[in-house]
Amino acid sequence: MAQRRSGRWQADDGVRFAPALTVACIVIAIVLAFLDRPDARVQPLADLRAAFNDFAAPVLELAARPLRGAANTGPWWRSQLELAEENRQLRLQVSELRAWRDVALSLQERNARYREALNLQAPAGAERITAWAVADRSNAFVRSQLVGAGAESGVRPGYPAVNVYGLIGRTVDVGRTSSRVLLLTDLNSRVAVMADRSNARALLLGDNTSYPRLDFLSRDPDLVEGDRIVTTGDDNVLPRGLPVGQAFLDRDGRWRVALYSDAAPLDLVWIWPFEPVADPDVDPVPLPVPVDVQAGALAEDGETGP
Amino acid sequence: MMGAARDREALWPSVTAFVLTLALSLVLYSAPSSVRGLPDLTPSWPLIVLFIWSVRRPWFVSPPVILIAGLLQDLISGGVMGVWALAYVTAFAIARPRSEEGAADIGPLIVRFAVLSVIVFCFAWGAGSAAIGALAGAAPLITEAIMTILVFPVLGWLFARRKGRSAMFNSGRGG
Repeated sequence: MAQRRSGRWQADDGVRFAPALTVACIVIAIVLAFLDRPDARVQPLADLRAAFNDFAAPVLELAARPLRGAANTGPWWRSQLELAEENRQLRLQVSELRAWRDVALSLQERNARYREALNLQAPAGAERITAWAVADRSNAFVRSQLVGAGAESGVRPGYPAVNVYGLIGRTVDVGRTSSRVLLLTDLNSRVAVMADRSNARALLLGDNTSYPRLDFLSRDPDLVEGDRIVTTGDDNVLPRGLPVGQAFLDRDGRWRVALYSDAAPLDLVWIWPFEPVADPDVDPVPLPVPVDVQAGALAEDGETGP
Repeated sequence: MMGAARDREALWPSVTAFVLTLALSLVLYSAPSSVRGLPDLTPSWPLIVLFIWSVRRPWFVSPPVILIAGLLQDLISGGVMGVWALAYVTAFAIARPRSEEGAADIGPLIVRFAVLSVIVFCFAWGAGSAAIGALAGAAPLITEAIMTILVFPVLGWLFARRKGRSAMFNSGRGG
């Protein structure tokens, strides 16, 4: 026999809930999904996300610790086994890098002189913000990473996030103590890039696969497989010259990029404070009035004056 | 009167256990667990927990509770809010277990869970694709669905065993 009780009842075949309750929940879910679309997210939902991230980040950070430790075990024992070989290779690399360091220092000095000569206004380098990745938020619909640094540490929306090897994405939702980094592989990621060798411009588009594709290339782009891809800074979203990855052609003949950042798990990330160049309309400076116009105006004043 | 008080006493540990297991499942779901170079093999822990509790205490897992669990999963996974919530509420409305009957048999339990999982992941794919405005990659969802269905028998077996024991205990006490 059915026994009704506030939205549910015990029917002969078990517990049943009022259909209106289910329909109401479905409608709420659909409305939220509509309002929270990545391309048209309403601000209250963005704020709710940031507040939730702040609340969840410490718990997730705790949960991540043992898993992070376990994940690092593999590379550790492997390196123990291959220590001698690794040591030999490192020595070789150090001797090569010493020569490169000398080259870099001399180039740095020459670069500074050129900048001085050209009076070039380069953006001031700011201190990077170090943060641990606390939750992996990559799934079929979104590729992002929650990191344990927020507005209190100086993070602002749009700052580039890099790991030891290269660019991983940029911050989108910034809470008080946590931020969400939209990865380069996410469907909504768009970054202006170029080939380091030829300066061939392209747009790096995430498509929720591991290898974002290069689009908006010229008709006959000067690209070869293995070209180093870096940010151009043309989009005024990211600074120029951040290493992104290596270009390659996929099976369908489309250019894609194997990301440098994939060489290591996303544990420790650095967030680089980057202020885009402000639009001149934001803070306009009055145009200097030419001297002859000034003189004319003065003369007119003299004629019409008392 | 005393019976009602005893029922209330028995209820609170179950409510606490439900909330804790759901919270734990959400934390496990979002903790970094993928190994470099391999696909992420994390099962949908919240779905497993919701299903087990919908068999154990069907009235706990009401549509608003499922909605909240789905929204929390959306928030914690950084996805569009409402996608998992919609998938869970709809799938549970279609194929939810309504009673504890048969909970001690692992076979039917696995079949019921597999059917529910397939519905959940199909709805999640559809809702997610509509929300991001492009067809979402099916491979990660298929991997997650397979992992969820593969992991469930272990927890389902423990649950069915416990259920069988308590049924035996109750029948012994009743006799």
